[in-house]
Amino acid sequence: MSKTGIFYSFHTNKTKKASEKIVEAFGKENLVVINAEEVNEKNFLQFDNYIIGVATWWDGELPNYWDEFVPAIEDMDLSGKKFAIYGLGDQKLYPENFNDGLGIFAELIESRGGELIGFTSRDGYEYEKSRAERGDNQFYGLCLDQENQARLTKKRIENWVEDLKKIFI
Amino acid sequence: MSSIYPKIYTIKNVDKETLEKWYTKLVVGRRLDERAPNYLKQAIGWSYHAPYAGHDGIQFAIGQHFDKETDHLFPYYRDMMTCFSAGLTEEEIILNGISKATDVAGGGRHMSNHFAKPEWNIHNVSSCTGNHDLHAVGVARAMKYYSHKGVSITSHGESSVSEGYVYEAINGASREKLPVIFVLQDNGYGISVPKHMQTANRKAANNFIGFKNLRIIHCNGKDIFDSMNAMAEAKKHALEAGEPVILQANCVRMESHSNSDRHELYRSENERNYVREYDPLAKFRRMLLRYDRFTEEELQAVEDNAKAIVKVAHKKAMKAPDPDPATIMDFVMPEPYKAEKYPDGVHDFDGEKTKLVEAINHTMKAEFRENPDTFIWGQDVANKDKGGAFNVTKGMQQEFGEQRVFSAPIAEDFIVGTANGMTRFNDKIRVVIEGAEFADYFWPAMEAYVESSHDYWRSNGQFVPNMTIRLASGGYIGGGLYHSQNIEGALATIPGVRIVYPTFADDAAGLLRTSLRSRGMTVFMEPKALYNAPQAAAPVPEDFEVPFGKARIRRTGRDITLITYGNTLIYSLEAANKLAEEGIDVEVIDLRSLVPLDKETILNSIKKTNKAMVVHEDKVFSGFGAEVTSTIMDEAFEYLDGPVKRVGSTYTPVGFNRILEKAILPDTDKIIATAKELKAY
Repeated sequence: MSKTGIFYSFHTNKTKKASEKIVEAFGKENLVVINAEEVNEKNFLQFDNYIIGVATWWDGELPNYWDEFVPAIEDMDLSGKKFAIYGLGDQKLYPENFNDGLGIFAELIESRGGELIGFTSRDGYEYEKSRAERGDNQFYGLCLDQENQARLTKKRIENWVEDLKKIFI
Repeated sequence: MSSIYPKIYTIKNVDKETLEKWYTKLVVGRRLDERAPNYLKQAIGWSYHAPYAGHDGIQFAIGQHFDKETDHLFPYYRDMMTCFSAGLTEEEIILNGISKATDVAGGGRHMSNHFAKPEWNIHNVSSCTGNHDLHAVGVARAMKYYSHKGVSITSHGESSVSEGYVYEAINGASREKLPVIFVLQDNGYGISVPKHMQTANRKAANNFIGFKNLRIIHCNGKDIFDSMNAMAEAKKHALEAGEPVILQANCVRMESHSNSDRHELYRSENERNYVREYDPLAKFRRMLLRYDRFTEEELQAVEDNAKAIVKVAHKKAMKAPDPDPATIMDFVMPEPYKAEKYPDGVHDFDGEKTKLVEAINHTMKAEFRENPDTFIWGQDVANKDKGGAFNVTKGMQQEFGEQRVFSAPIAEDFIVGTANGMTRFNDKIRVVIEGAEFADYFWPAMEAYVESSHDYWRSNGQFVPNMTIRLASGGYIGGGLYHSQNIEGALATIPGVRIVYPTFADDAAGLLRTSLRSRGMTVFMEPKALYNAPQAAAPVPEDFEVPFGKARIRRTGRDITLITYGNTLIYSLEAANKLAEEGIDVEVIDLRSLVPLDKETILNSIKKTNKAMVVHEDKVFSGFGAEVTSTIMDEAFEYLDGPVKRVGSTYTPVGFNRILEKAILPDTDKIIATAKELKAY
C-alpha cells in the first residue's frame, strides 16, 4: 500500500473537525496526519497519495499556510502522485466564491503533474460561482458547508472516503 | 474580463537588493502607521489617522508602479503606504501627519493623513472618498487628447462604489476609453458598515461587469507579490489597450477605521484576531525566511535600521515650522487676468447691438481661436446643428471639433468633476462647462463644486482648477420650479470661486473673456430670459474685457442707490425711468460681479444718495442681497437716512402658473413701490 498523508490546519476550528471525521472514516492507521501549518518540501513530498484540506478564506483565497507554500509547489514535479482535496465554504454568505480555495489548489496540483481524484457531484448545492467546479457537473473534490448544510456533512464524508479507499488502500 | 495575469514578481525571482528595499519600505511605513496615534496622545497632532495596516500589499504595489514623470495618482486618506511607496519621504509623511507649514501636501491646511505631493502629480484630494475618481477621469481625458503615455491611478475603499460619483467616473472612463486604474482596496468595511450593507455583490468590482472597454482584475491586496503582479498587469493593460481597469484588492483592516472609531464595538475578538493573523507584513517576512532569501539576523538588521530612520525623521519633523496664521487669506482665489485694455470694464463703442446669446457665443469662439487649450462640454452642448438648449454653443463643434466641444452624459457631478481633473494635466488648460442644462439642475454637482472650491487653498496654492461654469439662470419664462431658480446666493457662501452675473451683452462678453483668460474657477450666470431680449442687447467691442469685482453704474441718480444684477437690472432701469417722471432720481448699480463684490462703487453711491435698496430675483430671505445689505449697514450706516430696503422673490419656490410666477418674482411695480417707500424716509 502506498503511503497516504492527510494535511490540514490544526489551528482551525471547522476544517479541523471535518478533517478529524475524514481521518476517522478513512482509518487512522491508514494515514499520516500532518499539520498544514508546518508543511515543507520534505514532509510534503514523502507521500504517493494525499488528502488535502483547503479552506477558502475571504472572498476566494487560499489560507496563508497554503498560500505561502505555493511557490514551493510551483517548482515540484508531482507526477505519479494522487491528490484528493476537500474544503469548507459558505454557499449563502459567500456564493460568488464557494470553495474557491479547493479549486485554486486543485489547479495548482494538476499543473505540476499531480493526479486529482475524489471528484464529487455538484447536485445539492446552491451558489453562484466556484473555482472548485470542473466539467461534468462535478467538483474537483469534496465541498463541505458547515454553515448551511451541516447535517449533510457526515454522509458526504462517508461517501467520499469510501471512494478514496478504493483508490488509496 | 479576466483576473489572469503573469507572475512577474515572485519570492524566488526578485533580487535580494530589491527585496531588502521593499522590506525596508514596508517596515518603515508600518512603523510610521503604528506611531501615528502617539502624536495625538502627546497632543502634537495627527488627530485624523486611518491606519493602513492590512492594506500593505496593494498600497505598496500602487506606489511602486506610479511614475511621477508620466502618471497621476489620486490616493485616499488611508493611502499612507501608497504615497510612501511612491516616493514621499518619512519626514514628509510625518509633516503631513502633524500639519506643519512644510507639509508638501498643503502646508498643514488639509486634514492629517491626507498625503499628497502635487509637484509630483500625487494629488491633494478630498475626504469625501471616491470623488477623486472624477478628477482621475478628467486628467486621463487630457492624457488621451494630448497623446500623453501615462495612467491615472485612483484609489479608495470598496464601500465607495456606493457613491454615485464613482459610478459616473467608471461609466465615463469606459465610454471614453481612458487609461484610468480604479483601485478598490476592499477591507470589508466602510467605517463600521459591513460590505453587505453597501452592495449585494461581495466582489464590488463585478457590479461593473457589463461595462464595455473595461477590464476587471481581482488580487490579494495582503500579498506583496500578487499585488505587484496585478498592478503591473493593470498598468500594462491601461497603457496598451488605452482603457480603464478596476483592480479590486482584498485587504484586511487590522485596526479601527480611524482614531475616532472603536472597532471592538462591532467586531468580535475572534474577528479582530483573525484579521491580525493575515497581517501582510508578517506574511512577507515569513516568506523571506521560508524561501531562504534572508536570515533572521538580516531581517532584524533591517528592522533596527527602520527604527533609526523613523527616529531621525521624527526629530526633523518636530523642528519644522507651524503654519503662520497671518497666511490664512493666501490662495483663496488666484489673481485673475488683468483687463488692461478696459480697466474699469466700460467702453464707448457705438456699433450695432448684439444679443446676449450672440455675445456669449462670439466670445467663446474668439477665445477658442486664441487658445488651443480650451474645451467645452456639458449637457446638450453639441449635436449637429443644436448647440445647447439655448443655442449658446451653436457652431462651436463644427469649428473646433468633437475633441474640444462635446456633449456630456447627463451627470452634473461628472461634468464638473472631470473639468477639475482635466485642468490638472497642465495649467494652460481652460475648460468651460455648462454645469447643467439649467442652474436648477446644478445641485447634483454641488459636491464637485465644493471640492473644487477648496483645491487652491487646501493645496497651499499648488493647484487650482481653471474652469468657467456657465449656468443658464433665473425665471420670467413660465418655467416653474425647475427652470427658474437662482442659486448664486447659495453658491456665494462658499469661498474660492468668483461669481459673475452679467445682464447686458457687452458685460457678458467682457466677463467671459476675463474668465477664460484667468486661472481659477468662475461661475458665469446667464439670465436666460434675456438671451434674445432686445433690452439686454448692446454694442460689444471685439476685444472687450471686464475685470472681476467692477460694478457698473447703469443710470446715475441723486435720491436712491439701487443695487441689482441679472434679470432685475432690466426691471430696475424701467422702474428708475418711471420714478424719474415722478421726481425720484434713482442711481442704478449693476453689480456684474457678486464675488468679488465691488463695495467701493456701492458705498460711494450711498454717500451721495443716503438711501439704498437691493433688488434681485432670488429670494429676499438669505438671498445675496442679505450680504450686500449687511455690508452697507456695517460700512455706511452713518450715511443712511433710512433702512436698506430689499426687493426679491418670496420665500417659496417659483410657481409654474404665470399668475403664481408673477406673484412670486419681483417686477417693475414692486420695485417702484419699495423705492417710494424708501424715498419717504
